[in-house]
Amino acid sequence: MGKSILVIDDEEAVRRSFALSLKDTGYTIDTAASGEAGIKKVSSFEYDLIFLDLKMPGINGVETLRQIRKTNKKVPIYIFTAFQQEFLEELKIAQEEMLSFEILKKPVGAEQIVMLTKLILGQFEEAKEASHV
Amino acid sequence: MYEFRLYLYVSGDTPKSAALASNLKSLLEKTLIKGQCSFEVINVLDNPQRAEEDNILATPTLIKVSPPPERRVVGDLSDKERLLTALGLIAEKESREVAQ
Repeated sequence: MGKSILVIDDEEAVRRSFALSLKDTGYTIDTAASGEAGIKKVSSFEYDLIFLDLKMPGINGVETLRQIRKTNKKVPIYIFTAFQQEFLEELKIAQEEMLSFEILKKPVGAEQIVMLTKLILGQFEEAKEASHV
Repeated sequence: MYEFRLYLYVSGDTPKSAALASNLKSLLEKTLIKGQCSFEVINVLDNPQRAEEDNILATPTLIKVSPPPERRVVGDLSDKERLLTALGLIAEKESREVAQ
């Protein structure tokens, strides 16, 4: 069975961008338009990778991360954000709580999404073909 | 002066990041001659400007900045053979093994 990826972002353009970028990779792509919807999906399905937006209306990325980590400590979660101090300050709260996460810099292009996803999921040879970092 | 200079970019000062840094440091010590390598861990949350300057796209990222050419590995850093190959350090490992 192929690996499954969940993209949690309130912006439809971002969700669509991830889905389109990864559609020919063989991965199953699922999306959620809010933190609440993402948490619900994670509670009923075991994903191999989650991309999570930091800034969202309702519960933000850090709170979504916190809720997901209550039930799933293993799944890699990449929070996408600009490398600006004001955004990273929010992630320091998650760091202080020892919540496990990684960072993906925003904005990210289609080629980079494919390559990074393959690298994260350990498909190195395929990633080499996709692009160069 | 160090011959090999490597940077590890991580997201947060957490036990997971510390374990990754420790494993990589141990791998480099086994691969390279003692005192020959400088290994620096950089937390993106504390140093975003430096991450921008080094064009970091995601964590964790390991960069070998010298000797040239620069090599970088992103994402899963658990496969040691793959890591050394990607960094161009496999020859150093093999020569250490022959010497031992």
